[in-house]
Order: sequence, then structure tokens, then C-alpha cells
Amino acid sequence: MKIFIFHLMPYAHLDMSYYDKYRAVWVVLPNTYYDPKKGFELYNRYLDELELADELGFDGISVNEHHQNAYGLMPSPVVMAAALARRTKKARLAILGNAFGLRDHPLNIAEEHAMIDNITGGRLITGMVRGIGAEYFSTGNNPAFSHARFQEAHDLVVQAWTKPGPFSFEGKFYHLEYVNTWPRPYQQPHPPIWAPSTGSTETIEWAAHPSRKYTYLQAYSPTASVVRFLNYYRECAEKKFGYTASSDQIGWSTPVYISDTDQKARDEAKPHIEHLFNRLLRLPFEMLFPPGYLSAASLANMRSHKRSVSGQEHTIDTLIEQGIIVCGSPDTVRKQFTETHKMLGFQNLLCLLQFGTLPRDLTERNIRLFASEVMPALQALTDKQYQGMSIKAAE
Amino acid sequence: MTESAVIDLRGSKVHVQRFGRGEPLLFLHGLQGMSENEPGLLELSERYEIIAPDHPGFGRSDVSDNVDDVKDLAIFYLDLLDALKLDAVHVVGQCLGGWIAMEMAIYASHRFKSLTLVNSAGLRLKGVPRGDMFVCSEGELLKLLFAGEGAKAWLETWRSSPDREDIYERNRAAAAKFSWSPRLCNPKLDRWLHRVKVPTHVVWSEGNQVIPLAYGEALRDMIPGASLSKVGNAAHLVNLDQPKAFAREISQFVGRTAS
Repeated sequence: MKIFIFHLMPYAHLDMSYYDKYRAVWVVLPNTYYDPKKGFELYNRYLDELELADELGFDGISVNEHHQNAYGLMPSPVVMAAALARRTKKARLAILGNAFGLRDHPLNIAEEHAMIDNITGGRLITGMVRGIGAEYFSTGNNPAFSHARFQEAHDLVVQAWTKPGPFSFEGKFYHLEYVNTWPRPYQQPHPPIWAPSTGSTETIEWAAHPSRKYTYLQAYSPTASVVRFLNYYRECAEKKFGYTASSDQIGWSTPVYISDTDQKARDEAKPHIEHLFNRLLRLPFEMLFPPGYLSAASLANMRSHKRSVSGQEHTIDTLIEQGIIVCGSPDTVRKQFTETHKMLGFQNLLCLLQFGTLPRDLTERNIRLFASEVMPALQALTDKQYQGMSIKAAE
Repeated sequence: MTESAVIDLRGSKVHVQRFGRGEPLLFLHGLQGMSENEPGLLELSERYEIIAPDHPGFGRSDVSDNVDDVKDLAIFYLDLLDALKLDAVHVVGQCLGGWIAMEMAIYASHRFKSLTLVNSAGLRLKGVPRGDMFVCSEGELLKLLFAGEGAKAWLETWRSSPDREDIYERNRAAAAKFSWSPRLCNPKLDRWLHRVKVPTHVVWSEGNQVIPLAYGEALRDMIPGASLSKVGNAAHLVNLDQPKAFAREISQFVGRTAS
């Protein structure tokens, strides 16, 4: 299994008096709440944490894109990946993801990714996402064209990376007479493309398609959903497309916290993880799903399942119980991942080892404990330990 | 009672309510879509033959891949007038419908007998903020749309069956498609409003917080010969807040221009 450290780079110094005045830390939270001096300290601390992971033998480092919020300070994950490109030596740099379709010029991001791929000698992984609903308020993009633009931006970028230029691109949203990307990506035909998602049927089917076979990354969710969506990817490959998906095409992302004992881990993580789920992730339905963002089928599905994924007030106990986070002693955490891997066979694991307000000392200890006590056992796991289908049959 | 028909317009099915007697009056609905038997339209139908289509993607009309923006909608409705063999008609456009009607009139004023704009979208007035009906919560949305008591009943109608609920969501998605960005307007519209060469009346709710009265006044000033009347105790959905005043304002003006 490949182990990635994942960072959101939250604004950890948020003045909590915001809570009575604003509906979310997205879209409407005034940027006067942001203090650049604290930002300077945070960015550098967070980059230190990611560089440490490279030294400790993580297989990859992952950053992502969100706009105009206190949840994650990476409107451009490319900037973070560029900062890491020369300071890291072995780890893959995974941009999971960039919202190519939000841009008027997705080719510019394709160029930037190609640059990072060249600078790092092929350590880049490119994630392609639509961006969450709130992004469509913050960038002015029309959510009703989100799916179509995402797909066209993807096609444009892949062609730009693989097709000899110059050529013209005649799309619905993008019109270019000269597509001729310099530099071309270091990896041939192009950097691996991943599709991170919270479980959209359209995204899973799109990623699993035989012409793509992109790694599907399930963003943190209750175990029941992780099981459903990761299995759906495999089923989709098998039944819809007639091939057996490799476990390398399956990834799971989750917050992880380790301390000496289960109880200590719970106590230490509690305020910081609850801050993430109850404050930073709190998004009204209207911001999360602007009209047209979900297909009619997905929306109907959503309505019947849950009115709002972030509506629930969490405690660390509910988060652990539902499997949304993994938290405990090294033994507990190692065991839980090993057992879940037996069932789901994900060969890529993204661990969010800093979350919410988790301070520098606890974060560093968490990263070190994970690297020394848990990671070696997980890195040894292969498809041979995956028993998913037999477990399913026994259910 | 309203009667409905489905018209196939070059492969795209348009659901049209058609009812009443008199000169034909094309009613173009707003971003919230349209229900059956809206009282304001029923009242108007005593003097006019109401032709009220669901825009592509709204209500029970097909989503059309050929109709991406309001200019497309305008051309689409010129096609519809051809299909219905209507040479020149009275047009009433509310909100999005008013925007469509202005785009049509800029190109083809000769297809109009009169134009009534009700709380119309389409214009950009720099520095006069509009209400955002997409970001707000449901409670805030109802406050934006209604001045009177009708808000809750309106929402309950849309929640009354899975079918109606689907239509409500279709309407929201279609509203975003046509008006998300630039929000509720074509920033270039003011350049061409001098080409609206048809008797025009503007009806505006005094309490409109989605598109404030200043927009109505600007439309009156920009469209040659246009007049303006205001409706009190009404918000953006004046047709539901004050159906009688809505019908009266329209029929008084249209009546003056009728042949």
C-alpha cells in the first residue's frame, strides 16, 4: 500500500465569535478574519510538516484546492506543490485535486503541472475535481455547467499533454487555435490522474471507464459510505465495463490521530477534530449544492439519504464510531487499517495528520508515530491480503 | 382552468399553458417557474388568450442542448411564435421572462404588439446591489420573494408531491443555468435598449429586494417611451403577492395598446 500524508492547511487561528454572525467559514466569512502574520507562521509550519513526511518515508504528499474559506488555505495547490518540489526528494506530490473546469484557462494549470512534473523528475500525481459547491459562489462559475466543463477541461488537458502540438481545440467551453504545451510532462504519456470525490455516481463511473481507469479516491466519510463507493468502483469496472479493477485504482482518505493509548488519543484529538467537523466543514445545503451542481438523479438520491452531509453535530465518539476518522493507540490504528484493507483492498491511503486546530507539537508527534508504528505494516500490504469479495459473500 | 399543450419545437418539447379568450398574450415566467392556475393569469385570461410556456429546462419542458443562455431563449421564442403562427403579440415578461422579452424585442420588435416588463431581470445597474436568491437559506429566500403571507403556502405546493418537488429542483437548476453569471443580467443590454421599438410599460414592486425599484426606473428611462407603475405591499413575486394588482396593471396597459 502507498501511504500519503494529506494536508488541508486550515486557518487555525479563527476568531470563534464569527460563529454567531456567519453561516459558514466559506463564501460569506469576511477575509478580515484572516491575519497575514499568522498566515505566514501557518504556511511555513504546514510545509515543514509535509517535508518531515518526506524524510520519514511517506510515499506521497497531498495538497488540494479550495477557495475563499478558513477550512483550507490553498486556493492554488500548485503553489504548495511547487514549494515542496525542491524541498522533498522521494515522495510523490499529489495535487488532489485541482479544479481545472473552474478556470477559464485550464491549459495554464496543465502547464504548471507539467513544470512540477519536470522539476521533480516525474513525482507528480494530478487530481482532477469539479470543486465543491461553495467554489461556484466564490469563483462565479455556473454550477449548471459544472459536469460538462469539468469533462471538457479534462479532455483538453489530456490532449495537451499527449498530442503533438500545435493543434486546435474546438469545444463548447474552450476554444483554442494553438494548443502546444511546453514543457511536456516528464511522465509519459502523462502524470497519473486521480479522481477524488465524496461519492458521486457520475464521478465513480467516469473514473472507472476503461479509457481512463483513474484512481478513485474516497474523501472522508462514514465506513458504510466508503464501503459502498469503493465497492461500486470495482462493481462498475466488472459489470459495466467488463474488466477487473486493480486495487491500485482504489484510494481512501481519512483523518488519523495516534497517541500512546486509545483514551489519550481521543482526549488529545477531541477539540481539534470537532473543530474541523463542526465548524470548518459546516456548510449550509445551499452552499454545498448550488442548483445544477448535482445531476437530477444525484440530487434525488441526496434528498432521500441525507439533507446535509455536514448538518450533523459531531463528537469525537460519533466520528470514531462511524469510521469517519481513525483514532487510537498505534495498535488500534494499525489493526483498523489492516482490517479495513482486507475488506476494501485500497492500495492508496491518504492520512490527514493535521486537522482543525491541532497544534504543531501534537501534529509532529502524530506524524512520527504514524511513520514509525503504523506505516511500515501498511506499506507491506498488497492485493494478496484483500479478501473483499469473500467478505461480501459471507454477509 | 388552464389547458396545456406540448409543442415540439425542432425536437425540443415545450409545455405550454393556453387558456382564455381575446387577443393572444405571451406570458414569459420568471426564475421561480410557474404553477398551474396562477390567480393573476386566470384573471388576465378573462380578457386575453394567455400563452404561457415553461422555458426549456423549467417546469415540464425539455432541457434543450441548443438553449444555453438568454439570447438562445429569445431566439427559441421567436421560433415558438413562428410555430404558433403568431405574427405580433402582446408580451408580458416577469423577471427572467422580461429579460428574454427585451432580448427578443432588440432583434424583432415587429413581433410585438406591446411589451410589459414585471420586476424584470436583464439590466445591470452598477452599484445597485441585487438580492442573491441562490446563496440564501430557504427562510431567507421566502422573505426575498414575498411581502405577503403566501410564502409558506407557495413552498408547500412545491413540496406536495415528488413530481412537484422534482419540478421545483428543475426550476432552480434552470434558473442557475440562465442567470448565475453574470448574475441576473446581460451587462451589455443597456447598449441596445433603444432598439425596443414597441409600446412598453414597466411594473415594479415597491418592496422588491431581489431586483430593486431603481432597475424599474432605469428601464423606464432607457426604453423609448416607456412608462412605469409601482405596486405596493409586494416583493419580487408580485404575481402571487398581489395577483389582482398584477393583473390590473397589465390589462390596463395592454388594453390601451390593443388594436
